[in-house]
Amino acid sequence: MINLPENELTVAFSASETTVLSQPNFWRRAGRSLLHDPVALCSFAFILLLTVVAVFAPLIAPYDPLRQFSNGLSFVGAPVAPNGHFLLGTDASGRDVLSRLIFGARVSLLVGVVATGLASLIGVVIGTVAGYVGGVTESILMRFTDMVLSFPILLFCVALIAVTGPSTRNVVLVIAFAYWTYLARVVRGQVLSIKEREFVNAARTLGVGHIKIIRKHIIPHLIPTIIVYGTLGVATSILIEASLSFLGIGVPLPQASWGEMISEGQQYFQSAPWLLVAPGVALILTVLAFNLAGDWLTDLLDPAVQEMGS
Amino acid sequence: MPTDHVELALLNDAVVVVDNLSVAFPSRSGSGEVIRSISFSVKAGQRVGLVGESGSGKSLTARAIMQLIPAPGKISAGEIHVGDDLTLATVASAKKWRGTSVAMITQDPLSSLNPLVRIGVQICEMLRHHRNASRADARRRAVELLNAVGIPNPKRTMRQFPSVLSGGMRQRVALAIAISCNPRLLIADEPTTALDVTIQAQVLDLLEKMSQEHNSAVLLISHDLGVVANFCEEILVMYSGKIVESGPTQDILDGPLHPYTRALLTSVPSMTEELPARLSSIAGSPPAGGVDVVGCAFAPRCSLAQAICSEINPELRQLDDPFHDVACHAAGDALWPSVRSQ
Amino acid sequence: MSFTLQPGETLGIAGESGSGKSSVARALVQLTRPTGGTVSLGGAPVTNLKGQRLKRFRRRMQMVYQDPYDSLDPRMSVSDAIGEALSVRGLPKTEHAAQVAQLLERVKLPATIAQRHPNQLSGGQRQRVSIARALAVNPEIIICDEAVAALDVSIRAQVLNLLKDIQHDTGVGYLFISHDLSTLRFMADHVAIMYVGRIVEYGTSEEVFSNPQHPYTRALIAAVPSVTRRGERRLKLSGEPPDPGNPPSGCPFHPRCPEAVETCRTERPELLTIGDAQKVACHVVQWGREKTPKTEVTA
Repeated sequence: MINLPENELTVAFSASETTVLSQPNFWRRAGRSLLHDPVALCSFAFILLLTVVAVFAPLIAPYDPLRQFSNGLSFVGAPVAPNGHFLLGTDASGRDVLSRLIFGARVSLLVGVVATGLASLIGVVIGTVAGYVGGVTESILMRFTDMVLSFPILLFCVALIAVTGPSTRNVVLVIAFAYWTYLARVVRGQVLSIKEREFVNAARTLGVGHIKIIRKHIIPHLIPTIIVYGTLGVATSILIEASLSFLGIGVPLPQASWGEMISEGQQYFQSAPWLLVAPGVALILTVLAFNLAGDWLTDLLDPAVQEMGS
Repeated sequence: MPTDHVELALLNDAVVVVDNLSVAFPSRSGSGEVIRSISFSVKAGQRVGLVGESGSGKSLTARAIMQLIPAPGKISAGEIHVGDDLTLATVASAKKWRGTSVAMITQDPLSSLNPLVRIGVQICEMLRHHRNASRADARRRAVELLNAVGIPNPKRTMRQFPSVLSGGMRQRVALAIAISCNPRLLIADEPTTALDVTIQAQVLDLLEKMSQEHNSAVLLISHDLGVVANFCEEILVMYSGKIVESGPTQDILDGPLHPYTRALLTSVPSMTEELPARLSSIAGSPPAGGVDVVGCAFAPRCSLAQAICSEINPELRQLDDPFHDVACHAAGDALWPSVRSQ
Repeated sequence: MSFTLQPGETLGIAGESGSGKSSVARALVQLTRPTGGTVSLGGAPVTNLKGQRLKRFRRRMQMVYQDPYDSLDPRMSVSDAIGEALSVRGLPKTEHAAQVAQLLERVKLPATIAQRHPNQLSGGQRQRVSIARALAVNPEIIICDEAVAALDVSIRAQVLNLLKDIQHDTGVGYLFISHDLSTLRFMADHVAIMYVGRIVEYGTSEEVFSNPQHPYTRALIAAVPSVTRRGERRLKLSGEPPDPGNPPSGCPFHPRCPEAVETCRTERPELLTIGDAQKVACHVVQWGREKTPKTEVTA
């Protein structure tokens, strides 16, 4: 995964050293790359929009997401289709779908970001220790990682929630506990190769301590990986959260979440398709945006490309 | 005008003519020229060395001849003619002569050999493709070739993968593939740089023997003046994308005219002569490739630089010797001490 | 194998790939643990040190690496890289800037370079920064593991001169590991020639280069392409160095040796003194070349 672009770049590098020497600083490079990539630009714009919406949900949402409107149900008790009053219609309980969608974004982002942050922390610590220390420590840590990894994530979550009971906090913990394994494995692999590099040897021969070597020479080289996996992790976490909520073991009712909305909407798919379409589209767009942003970051922060800048 | 060159070169029995070649990697900051208008030719059976430091454009010259310049680089001016009939080299025509009348070996054959394909298959494929040999003929010829390049057990080697061979053996295999179609010109780009000295000597001997047996001309590209001096009849010295001196090996070694050539000769510690306490070195470092240079690119590092050197780019010119060219304003002046008198 | 290095002196170690010359360097600075034997510095053994004592020892022996593109952390500026070494020495941060400037001056780099990152430096400049970093802890010995091999000739000469100047000024000892004999001839006071993990010839630079005794040394010297020795009939070696993990019996060089006799196949020669300081591990040389019966090895 890393080797190929490195080879390509070597050619350009040997051809003219200036292309590397005159490389503008990181943020300018990032900005320029973003402007030339409309897909990535849209993804980031969408993520930004979503964040603003989630943070300012109470100000933006037209109604209280839990309020059951008396005019939110038709006279036969069916959901009301989108109209001037309820932009995305109402659900079976007469609640405003748009407002629920907006508050649902809060849950999704919160769970996605916190769970991924926690997972990254665990993954980086375990991966770095395993890779750097090696030996028996590595074997124990990595076998444990493999064990967790070999559980089917969703089933694993279901089982854990069944024991701990549904709550937003438990959803976060469960997702974090399932997702850290991916990062731990990748980080371990990277640490294994970084610690063999000459500058790490040079620091060791100088007599720099292990903790300092990890902090100053190893972790900085992991940051691109962490960012990329973090971004992709947010997408995965949002999906897992939606799946759990769909199954009724995610964020507890009556709090709005996209998974729960989809679950409810599918019962009315024939008569009130907006109940399924609205949260479905929101979920797809969000996951897509995070994945595309992650891809773009991979290209930008690819360690091989980064090192070539060196 | 180029056709005149070619006609003249045909009479001279040349197998490659490089005429005013420029190669550029265009960028925002400038024209990005990394090879600046170089011309030379190699005659049939002749061994010519192209010497220069990293970034001098020597390897890129080889790639330009092979029409293998990595994007976004391109030939921005000039022409290259190759083969006995001196056909104009283009990306399209390269399919006809690349690998047959012009072949190349590189520093690390591991990158030019497919790591997942057995060596025998790779050689046979080449022979069958270019020479329409039958399967059995190709196999027989492959064993012959491996034998000829001094591989101890050709039949076993045919069944092996490139990664199990040592660097020297891999270079022998690459050479076997390169000569399999009797090329008129063999470009050897740093063929021994990755090898130990004793193995280097073996490979250079082999290269010489092969070129003589097949009457192939060799363009040897190297950073090591010692290697070139022992192998080549003529030397071209490159600096920052230009040929700064060219001539017969003997002349260049005995009476280098360009200050850069002279510095190259004296900055390598001798194996036989009395050693100075300090090596003579060239201050500074070569300019980065692709930066537009006014005047002589070597001027900032040159102890003999005058005002004119940073203004006017010196052209390659003859002094007394009609075969020995130099691109230096100061060369030939009274200022210029002979290297031997040192 | 064993050797000694006097203060302020340069010991050159030459050999082809697989001769184990880089393993020697790594074992000396204890990046890898030697399987046997001891290393002593200033009379005190320094093998198998741990913890604080290992850290203290490491300051006394520094290393400059071959690859200028990998021996500096691409994410650290020059002043941070040298500053790290100064911190190890226990110098307070407030004095770093002045020391960094002084060290850069010693390796003849402009002070303005301190804020740059390695990607903004040329190979030669990087190698100078590596040297400055090694000097920052005031070592007694600097191991140069192919330290100039990746540099262009004109830059290489600058760095070699610099290393000599530093030795002259500070009295630091060098262990200079190189495959390039002409560089060793210029740098080293004593030279050890290695073949498959053993020293086959040792002596002063003068002795080894002008009067090589071991057939391998002779072939190695003859194989160096030189502009001053063109067209000479050269002694050429056939074959390739053996797999270091599975060396031949007897003298490891015998399958390639033009002078090998029957004994060479079975008995490994010891490294014995033959001249003032010159030592050779070769039966034929030890017996005297004239006295050796001319029997070809039946290989």
